[in-house]
Amino acid sequence: MSRTVPATSSYWKRNQQRLAPWLFLAPGMIMFSIYVIIPIFESIWISFYDWDGLGAKTWIGMANYVELLDDEAFYTSLKNNILWLVLYLLAVPAGLAVALFLNQTVAGIRLYKSLFFFPFVISQVVVGLIFTWFYAPDFGLLSALIKAVSGQSIAILADERYVTLGIIAAGLWPQIAYCMILYLTGLNNINPEQVEAARMDGAKGWSLLWNIILPQLGPATFIAVVVTVIGALRSFDLVSIMTDGGPYGSSRVLSFYMYEQALSEYGYRMGYGAAIAVVLFMIMMVFITLFIVRMLMQERHA
Amino acid sequence: MADVTLRNVTKQFGAVSVIKGVDFSIADGEFCVFVGPSGCGKSTLLRMIAGLEEISSGELKIGGNDMTHVGPSERGVAMVFQSYALYPHMTVSDNIGFGLRMTGHDKAEIEKRTARAAKMLQLEPLLTRKPSQLSGGQRQRVAIGRAIVRNPEVFLFDEPLSNLDAALRVQMRTEISTLHQDLKATMIYVTHDQVEAMTMADKIVVLSAGSIEQIGSPLELYHRPKNLFVAGFIGSPKMNFLTATAAPAGDQIRVTLPGGVDILLPAGNARISEGQAVTLGIRPEHIDAYAKDGAILPAKLRLAEYLGSETMFYVSLADGSDIAVKADGLATAHPGADFRVGIPPKACHLFDAQGVAIINGDLTK
Amino acid sequence: MFPTPVQKAAPWVRHAYTIILPIALIVWLLPLIGVAITSIRPSGDLAAGNYFGMPSRFAGIENYTAVFRDSPIGWYILNSFKVTIPTVIGAVGLACLSGFALAVYKFRANLIVFFLFVAGNFIPFQILMVPVRDMTLKAGLYDSISGLVLFHVAFQTGFCTLFMRNFIKSLPFALIESARVEGVSEWRIFRYIVLPLMRPAIAALSVLVFTFIWNDYFWATVLVQGQHAMPVTAGLYSLNGQWIAAWHLVSAGSIVAAMPPVLMFFLMQKHFIAGLTLGATKG
Repeated sequence: MSRTVPATSSYWKRNQQRLAPWLFLAPGMIMFSIYVIIPIFESIWISFYDWDGLGAKTWIGMANYVELLDDEAFYTSLKNNILWLVLYLLAVPAGLAVALFLNQTVAGIRLYKSLFFFPFVISQVVVGLIFTWFYAPDFGLLSALIKAVSGQSIAILADERYVTLGIIAAGLWPQIAYCMILYLTGLNNINPEQVEAARMDGAKGWSLLWNIILPQLGPATFIAVVVTVIGALRSFDLVSIMTDGGPYGSSRVLSFYMYEQALSEYGYRMGYGAAIAVVLFMIMMVFITLFIVRMLMQERHA
Repeated sequence: MADVTLRNVTKQFGAVSVIKGVDFSIADGEFCVFVGPSGCGKSTLLRMIAGLEEISSGELKIGGNDMTHVGPSERGVAMVFQSYALYPHMTVSDNIGFGLRMTGHDKAEIEKRTARAAKMLQLEPLLTRKPSQLSGGQRQRVAIGRAIVRNPEVFLFDEPLSNLDAALRVQMRTEISTLHQDLKATMIYVTHDQVEAMTMADKIVVLSAGSIEQIGSPLELYHRPKNLFVAGFIGSPKMNFLTATAAPAGDQIRVTLPGGVDILLPAGNARISEGQAVTLGIRPEHIDAYAKDGAILPAKLRLAEYLGSETMFYVSLADGSDIAVKADGLATAHPGADFRVGIPPKACHLFDAQGVAIINGDLTK
Repeated sequence: MFPTPVQKAAPWVRHAYTIILPIALIVWLLPLIGVAITSIRPSGDLAAGNYFGMPSRFAGIENYTAVFRDSPIGWYILNSFKVTIPTVIGAVGLACLSGFALAVYKFRANLIVFFLFVAGNFIPFQILMVPVRDMTLKAGLYDSISGLVLFHVAFQTGFCTLFMRNFIKSLPFALIESARVEGVSEWRIFRYIVLPLMRPAIAALSVLVFTFIWNDYFWATVLVQGQHAMPVTAGLYSLNGQWIAAWHLVSAGSIVAAMPPVLMFFLMQKHFIAGLTLGATKG
């Protein structure tokens, strides 16, 4: 039964299973490396230079980072980012609340669910414009409501005290919708027999939610937290659309400040921008690491 | 012609060794069953023969050719999977012909072979259906059909009947046996069900924890188990085991059973030291529930199961050990009643402290 | 089911629920409803201070016509399609290949490569901004549709690969082994067995990526400058600067820009949600 096969073909046949994964991976990996993996390291490298994006780069070591330590605007951005992170996480319980509210089987509930989800589908640019209009002094719907209730008129986006809160509220709108859909799917997949068994054991209301439902929603909660944290740290669109960082830079976040420094009309400071991006990246790495560790544990169990 | 030979074959998953060096051969046209409890490595061994798992060391020959490091498609084997592995997006006939199409057979040939397999397995009316429209037994047949069309020299079955209900399983069992007689191909079949092994096999390989416990024909394993594991695994209901002590008594062995009853067994060439700890094995169907003399153990009935064709009595001996007794279907008794367990010396198996058989009460002799 | 179905609750709860539900929806969508109404308001209403009342007449046609006639929004939308559709095809296509590789083969670097894709997916865009912009400039692709498409394809490949890999992992592995025993080559296993079974995943990913890319604003501002390649998100923002206080036009423009992903969502709702909630139920 010995067959004679050309050497090349037999090499391919013998090693097909070993080579195949790399051939399948190659196109995606090459693209991803060029545009994502390598640029991360380039950015870190650029952050040690003074560079206007066109001329020669000048090595300045840690100078960009030292400058950050004394930069008022950087601290404002960092503080706002933390505020974003904390308040944005409200989307998780709020999304759960909406999901519980909608997890019924009355007529037309599917359409209700879709419409509640609506804000997530819309571009953040449009969300930003909608809320800018909503907040606008004089003719904005919210301002009119506040005026009717308290008699005062507040220009939310022009007031340093409220501007970031106003933008975060706009961001929460689609984010709550996102968390809601995650929880609705989670609730849908809970084994109804377990809920019935718990009811027969006398659990109801909060105790049922806390002891039986929430633990089963663990995966949904995890994903909701992950996407919300990422969303909070990535917040750029709304700031750019609604205030352009103002008033007086008080609504800047790191991602926006970085963009401003690197590409602003006052001159390109690529190195300094890169340094800000590296700081943001480091913060995000904490969360990415947590996420990867959890996924790794799941893979081990699988 | 395809005999299958394994020489000192091992499998490591990292530091864990799953197959610890097995040696045996399967003759051309033989129906060989790998049997053992779950986790014993029987499926891994089959997958190694298929080429789906690499062989860590040792040698595999199929039809005299070294196949140790050859890809699965070059080994001339076909496999039927436990889950059937039917391609859900293809019709029955596409499923059956897929492998031939992918390996460049011409259309007429594919149709001819598909038609032949469909006829053999009574699949003709189902050829245009999708797997989701088939019953479990029909899916199983398609999976077998997919194997048949390739005219393999060796068929591999990985627990193919475990997803079927009991009645269908019996039916498919006979169908596979018939198929074997018709095709006269070598077949290797993995199962955890010793009844399947006993009913289908020419040769059974009993595996436990990655090693071979015994190889033999179904009746060899039943009558002459080499050790406690095989004795306990083959046969249903399970063999009873009694702890006992043995002593030489001329050309016989005196075994003292719990409760002080003695029984004399022919020694043969077995060597026994005075007071040696042994295990006496006796199958439930060989116990005499109506014995008048000989070795009789007094017992109390715990539970009776009336199956109609036979009655199972579960009794407790004086020392608390339990024994199952198979009696004819007309026997009755009430729980708590006194019971006499008659042990015929001819049917007794004796195992030493390591579990190795000293004496096999082979009733065929 | 949790919470208790209202059908089983007291009648007043049931009635209250049916009343509260539409009210909650209106409150939830209030900003959107406001914008929708504004988009059909005649400009005279705004000048006269009629911001919240009923529009004095239906001016939808004239507002939307004005948006398309007086601004390049039609062109921007065309650009958005030119960016979005090739990106969807490219990213989903690459991810089918790499997801297959990561789901089917055991090799030492498998998990490392996989986590590289996953991690890359979560990084802040800003860390990529300077090098990607520089690279695009040097390649002569700055301010062009293809520059934007190439980046989006590469970046979305991370998320798509995660998605595809998990989807293929959930398929019965015996299908692939069975084909291997039958002598089917690896490429044909991918082409004829796995790819046909990936249809639902391809649909889900396509809708999701379409929405993500359509709604992208950051990269549209980083990699594009002029009108000729500008997608609708960035375009809308620049129009917003021109239409100061012309809120009826801004509103109409916003609704036009939001329409394609909204339509996509309603047409492909099942796939969209399946894609978005991947991982929310198991593991």
